[in-house]
Amino acid sequence: MAFCTGCSLLCDDIEVDFDGAKVKRTMNLCRKGRAHYDSLRVDRLAPAVDGSAASIDEAISKAGELLAGAEKLLLFGWGNSTLAAQQAGIGLAKKLGSVIDDPSSYSQGLITEKILAGDLPSCTFDDVRNFADVSIFWGDDPSSSHPRHLSRFSYFPRGEKRQRGYEEDREAIVIDVRKSPTAQIAADGFFKIPPGGDAEFAEALMATLGGKIPKVEDKKRMLNLGTKLRKAKFGVIFTGLGLAHSMGGDLDAFFSLVGKLNELSRFSVIPTLGDYNTRGFNQNLFDETGSVNSVSFADGVAHGPEFGIAKYLDSCDAVMVVGADPVAALPAPLTKLLSGIPMVAVNSHRTLTTDAAKVTIPIGVAGLEVGGSALRTDGVKVDFDAVVKSDYLPDVEVIERIMEAV
Amino acid sequence: MTGKEVTVVTYRGIFQEVEEALGMYSDGYRDQSALIDLDGSDAKALGVETGKPVLLENGSGKVVVVAKVSEDPHPGVAFMPASPWSAQLLSGEVGGGGLLELKRFRANVSFAEGAVTSIEEIRERIGAD
Repeated sequence: MAFCTGCSLLCDDIEVDFDGAKVKRTMNLCRKGRAHYDSLRVDRLAPAVDGSAASIDEAISKAGELLAGAEKLLLFGWGNSTLAAQQAGIGLAKKLGSVIDDPSSYSQGLITEKILAGDLPSCTFDDVRNFADVSIFWGDDPSSSHPRHLSRFSYFPRGEKRQRGYEEDREAIVIDVRKSPTAQIAADGFFKIPPGGDAEFAEALMATLGGKIPKVEDKKRMLNLGTKLRKAKFGVIFTGLGLAHSMGGDLDAFFSLVGKLNELSRFSVIPTLGDYNTRGFNQNLFDETGSVNSVSFADGVAHGPEFGIAKYLDSCDAVMVVGADPVAALPAPLTKLLSGIPMVAVNSHRTLTTDAAKVTIPIGVAGLEVGGSALRTDGVKVDFDAVVKSDYLPDVEVIERIMEAV
Repeated sequence: MTGKEVTVVTYRGIFQEVEEALGMYSDGYRDQSALIDLDGSDAKALGVETGKPVLLENGSGKVVVVAKVSEDPHPGVAFMPASPWSAQLLSGEVGGGGLLELKRFRANVSFAEGAVTSIEEIRERIGAD
């Protein structure tokens, strides 16, 4: 069996036959996973320095020179890197006294950090499949972002204590601003909220669970939801970017609600993280520093929003981006800033970020061309081997060679 | 500035994810990203139909994308795939809770005659070329 590193579900039941680098036949890949496999032949990154083709050795040497000469260096990305590459990256940050950060600093890092600190209950997908009778998708549309989420774990499958699956044993509730594909599956379980209305919804639900009349338009529906959650044997809340961003990063209302639910029943939280190994980076950095992102090693270990990419770009003088495309994702004022800073980009494919970089270094696609390990979005570790021959270097080897070069 | 001001919320769509994996410089990625889902009554007021170009503009920037009229009503709110196109309209400001605002912004929508903004144009604007 092969793995798919197309998203953080890390599906481990993939069958695939290749004709060279071309995919000939597959089983169990979702549409997104198939595109991930097909991408092996599309827009691959080549080594380059200052826009001119270079050898991989020249690119690594130039990268080492650029990083060593920086006074305020940011190492960013890491969600699409193996655990070993992430650990090497943290080692590089310590060696250079630099700042290290990942996209969780502007997405779900706060939720993941609470889980890793033991302040927010979580569980594995196996627990979900076997025991969960209520799945809540909050600002989260895994049917689009993680297409096999509902079929493998959270809604459709039969499990140890859920033999009748979604037909009788499991209920899906979606809280979202948009009738997403996941909301369409939930049908009557869809609660549409206005943009920015998540905190108000959480507070209304909290009031309901506390026996009060909620201050919402459809009181009866909210009271029914409260009764359903109170009676749940094991509920799981899957969180998406929509929740974190709607609350502007202040998730106290959500955390209080989870606490209340656990006074009445048993509820866990699993963040639906985008890149295949975001959870791995967060775990690695947390183990090293006690924080999941935005860490500076300039003077011991320091953590704070000033070391997140959104703030640190104002002052840094060099950036290395590994396995991420912040130029495509960040607001234009920040990407303009980033594009003007000397940058090393390590990636398997060409992106807007690699186009903006002074030095580009290609790597193999983990799980397809090179082996490694990663943590699934629920924290379960998986090890994968390469399934197709490739001359690309593994990401960990590139980071270690850069470390030698500096 | 004529047109209508709406709240835009971004999302990730499966077809966009597929096209992104297959190359973000492709026509397919542009077609799945340079899009805005408009409420039916808002689209009618603007004289816009599905498939027509619209200009999105605010203090941060402007882009031309393709309109898609939603079946479900959501007046005053529009939805757009998160992409380099939507990123042109984000301010880069940090919200009250300390999180960079990435999913929501206000923008004026108006009928456009020009072509959809290309990713090459965006790349040039942000100095990534």
